[in-house]
Amino acid sequence: MSDEDTSYNHKNAPIAFQPKLGFFELRATVSQNRKMVLGIIGAIIFFGMWEIAHYMMDETQQKFLPSVEQVLSSLWVLFVEKAYIYDVLKSCYRVFVSFFVAAAIAIPIAVLMGCFANIKSMVNPTVSAARYLPAASFIPLLLVWFGPTDLQKMSLLFLGVVFFLIALILDATESVETSLVEASLTMGASRTRVVLGVVLPAAAPGIIDAMRAMIAVSWTYLVIAEIVAAQDGIGAVMMRAGRFLNVDIIMAGILTIGILGVLTDLLFRLSAYLMFPWDRAR
Amino acid sequence: MNDEKRVAIKTEQVTKEYVGGTFTAVDDITIDLVEGEIIAFIGPSGCGKTTMLRMIAGLEHPTYGSLTVYNENVDKYLPIHGPGPDRGMIFQAYTSFPWLNVLDNIEYGMKITGVPKDERRAKAEEMLKLVHLEDFRDYYPASLSGGMKQRVAIARTLAQNPEVILMDEPFGALDAQVRWEMQEMMIDVINRESKTVIIVTHDIQEAIYLSDRIIFYTRTPGKVKANLEMDFKKGERYPIKEDCLSLPGYLDIEKKLFSMMREEIV
Repeated sequence: MSDEDTSYNHKNAPIAFQPKLGFFELRATVSQNRKMVLGIIGAIIFFGMWEIAHYMMDETQQKFLPSVEQVLSSLWVLFVEKAYIYDVLKSCYRVFVSFFVAAAIAIPIAVLMGCFANIKSMVNPTVSAARYLPAASFIPLLLVWFGPTDLQKMSLLFLGVVFFLIALILDATESVETSLVEASLTMGASRTRVVLGVVLPAAAPGIIDAMRAMIAVSWTYLVIAEIVAAQDGIGAVMMRAGRFLNVDIIMAGILTIGILGVLTDLLFRLSAYLMFPWDRAR
Repeated sequence: MNDEKRVAIKTEQVTKEYVGGTFTAVDDITIDLVEGEIIAFIGPSGCGKTTMLRMIAGLEHPTYGSLTVYNENVDKYLPIHGPGPDRGMIFQAYTSFPWLNVLDNIEYGMKITGVPKDERRAKAEEMLKLVHLEDFRDYYPASLSGGMKQRVAIARTLAQNPEVILMDEPFGALDAQVRWEMQEMMIDVINRESKTVIIVTHDIQEAIYLSDRIIFYTRTPGKVKANLEMDFKKGERYPIKEDCLSLPGYLDIEKKLFSMMREEIV
């Protein structure tokens, strides 16, 4: 049973033509290493262009586009000398508390809408129309009602996300296949059990995903919320810096919000990973 | 062996109309579904066979006529008013709950009808063996193939000990080889559990292989075109498909059904 005679000797085969498409190959697969390297190169190009732009300007203009290192050093100064951490925590408090109140209201409403067509017919027209109201337009109203307080700012953040949350969670609920509902009915499940024990767990990953998307939006509304008469918070720090033309501090603020947004996103992804082990084999 | 068989489900002049009478799905269906039989509903697409099955399941209601199911406790035929575990249903779509593992899925029906824990666990283990999924009890449905997902659904339904098992094109989403495996498994399972089974299918060969009787529906509005007993099997069920296919009389019935289908499609 020797394999020598029957094995194919690749050395004698004609050389196959290997087309070289290089960088622009359609729908190519990229290895993890390559992805990381390319990502780093992309970031370097972006920051490089920024730095070059800064150093190409004359001195008076340079104040308006600080270099990367100037932004980072003013961020450092904010934390070490100006108790910035307090502002950061205050902004986080405003975003998270207002968001979870919005979720606590949106989830039951949207799930009930998704399960019961009559409830949806009653609630949907009003809620979908409300989505088109810009959050900023509520500022004067909220100031009159609540004054320049935390409540006013958090109400604004709440209004910015709650209607969209309802729409997205409604989608997640409706995408639960009817056959799942019918299967549980044929097993003898009551309506309560169907809503709480079948639809809700089935829709849960979609609901968390909707929340992850909308809390990012909430972060983008933070500065708008803190624009008027805020004493503390990242937005307040940025507005004060703006009055003194401290562009480096403004940019440091933008950077802070960006980082917090990314961390929040990671937090939600991690929570979804831990909460839904069944959803991992996708 | 058919002398003492009781009728499990009676349908009398059942008609289902939609959109205020402008569309009739099924018209004047009167059939008796005998206990312990495997009955196949076949017919062209849109003939209403699934609608009939869903009305028996209680997921839809007839516009006219009556549907009754035999109730042992009171020895009477009671109207079907809604879905329930006495008429377990297996759908074409995969309905195993993705957030529960295989074992918890199988236990689900028993859990919500209040079966005590130990009994549940024992029955679930029995069902796992029946559908050959013992090694997969901790797996989530997302990690299972289509055929395995359907096996979970079948085990879950059987665990509730329904009188009637309703199957709506259960193997429709599976490839031919898996479908064949599942058909043979079904014969094996039904023989052990002796239930009344109603299966809706498009596949004429599947209907002949699995059933003791075929109810053939006409195209819309669906009426009963034929009620055919699979005499060529002589009351036997064949866990090995080739044994059934090689029986004398198989080809004749297959030819007959294909030409009946041709009449309805054209």
